Amino acid sequence: MEARRQPARIHRFRPALITQTDDALPEYMNLIGMICSMCALMLKIKWCAWIALFAAIVGFANARATEDTKQVLSSLMLSISAVVITYMQNPTPMTIPFFQ
Amino acid sequence: MRLAICLVIVFLCFICSAAKKVKDEDFSEFDDFDQDEFVVETPSTTSATLSSSKTQGSKPDAVETEKVIQADSNKGKQKEKEDDEEEEVSVIDEDDDSMFDDEEFEASDSFASATSATPDLKIAEVPANLTGNRWEAYQCEAVMIIALLAYLINFLIGRAKNARLATTVYHAQRDLLDRNFALVGDDGQTRNTETDDQVNQMQKESDHLYILWCSGRVSIESMLIELRLVKRQCAFNSLAAIIKSINDTLVYTIDFNKDDMETFVFCLAKKRSAVKLHRDMVDLSQFCAERKSADKKGFPGNYQVLSEIGEASSHITNDQKLAEFLTKYPDAIEYIHISDQYSGMKIQSDQQTSSNAATNTGTAAQQQDALNTSERSLRRVLIVAFNLTPQDGRSLQITSESLPGDYLRFVLQLIDRVAAFRFGSKELKNKATKNRQRIEEQFLKSVNLQRQEQAQLRREEKRRAEKEKVMQSDDAELQRKWEEKEHKREMKRRQPKMKQMKVKSM
Repeated sequence: MEARRQPARIHRFRPALITQTDDALPEYMNLIGMICSMCALMLKIKWCAWIALFAAIVGFANARATEDTKQVLSSLMLSISAVVITYMQNPTPMTIPFFQ
Repeated sequence: MRLAICLVIVFLCFICSAAKKVKDEDFSEFDDFDQDEFVVETPSTTSATLSSSKTQGSKPDAVETEKVIQADSNKGKQKEKEDDEEEEVSVIDEDDDSMFDDEEFEASDSFASATSATPDLKIAEVPANLTGNRWEAYQCEAVMIIALLAYLINFLIGRAKNARLATTVYHAQRDLLDRNFALVGDDGQTRNTETDDQVNQMQKESDHLYILWCSGRVSIESMLIELRLVKRQCAFNSLAAIIKSINDTLVYTIDFNKDDMETFVFCLAKKRSAVKLHRDMVDLSQFCAERKSADKKGFPGNYQVLSEIGEASSHITNDQKLAEFLTKYPDAIEYIHISDQYSGMKIQSDQQTSSNAATNTGTAAQQQDALNTSERSLRRVLIVAFNLTPQDGRSLQITSESLPGDYLRFVLQLIDRVAAFRFGSKELKNKATKNRQRIEEQFLKSVNLQRQEQAQLRREEKRRAEKEKVMQSDDAELQRKWEEKEHKREMKRRQPKMKQMKVKSM
């Protein structure tokens, strides 16, 4: 068994060799988060702000390790600010339009 | 025209309704006036109202005198009333205008009208959060926050569980890897691979993907172990995995050197994976015509074979150790993919070639680089994917302490078998070579076509830029020359290309 080890045949790792998977969920969540945050801030829609927050957190949970954390964090901060600012503008409780 | 008429009609209707409303409001105070006022007013009440109203309106000095005068007049009236009620009413009616001012009866009038007509009170709606306990009104927000907290808790738990699994799998294989590989665990960034510090865990690519790079073994260049776990950190993905019955996968990707492996393409896979691989993998779709069932080989489970060269496939499938392994672990192997023409999945390889070809702009050096990179990036690989599922009713954590070791042993044995195989006859070798040449030609043709299209595009753009430049220059001479040149070019293109034949004079 020991004879199988051959230090002469060592090759260094290259990140390109990792099998690529077609997982676009983090990008979609990022996009939805951004759009919903903008809607919430400009149109003062509360449930949009909450959806943005959810999307940002789901995107954060599914992010790859190689992905830039600044992008993910900025999306999260934007959604939190959307929620806070929407409630500061209108402190009344949220009403879901489909159920009322 | 019709729209204008409609608008006019709507406007008129609006005005009528507004007018009616105003009219109704104007005369609303007289609605119940005639019915109650005179019947209800008895002499005592009238005297009381009169005296009270009088006292309200008059000065304090004249109060007594007025009272006396009123008392006298009332007494007189009482006598008359005793006789005839109708006259009473009429007397009061007559006296109303002269004696009673509007100001004196302001309160009684308003009181009467208030009691007679139903008041149209509008109660303003106070928002729920400002009445009573404010926080109870925020029910939706409470639900949202609870859902967020639940997701975050699931994230932490899922991430920890995945990390524990990765550690268990690593420790189960560590000794065997150390005995077979000179380098276990490399991130590609440290300068020196020979360090005293051992790698203690698999490299974390993300919360659901852990890798381990091994190199320095006879007959192979490298081995990449990928632990593809279910995304337990995301609640939605966990649910989807339960619904779609996706499980954790352990994938070994072994790269061979050119001399280590014979040239053939082979795949043994479960039916669901065989369909996907045959469709998506470039080499399997190009070299393997059809999928055949592996029931004849006596393998338990629903396995299919994709084969290019029959002899090579038989060499792999007729292995005793493979049969034993499949009998012991019926559903463990998801697929075995052996190929010397591996270039990944179809979509990814298309993206690579298009991105390579799209760099044909700019300087000549860049173009030369683009030409060089239009070659396909082919690898000689052995890929084995295992399902990591709980066995014998035990939990996944306990199963993953023993299974990975067996899986690794099987993979190492398969590596040696593939590396040892050589074609029995030259004919098979020639057949394999022909197949590869055919595919290579097809690929070069498609690249050539792409390059021609891009060259054509570039020429068109160049001509357009020239034309704009000439038009903007305002030099008539230059424009005329350019137009002549264009005309000649057009004529030349339209003329069919004729071969010139020189006839030698006798």
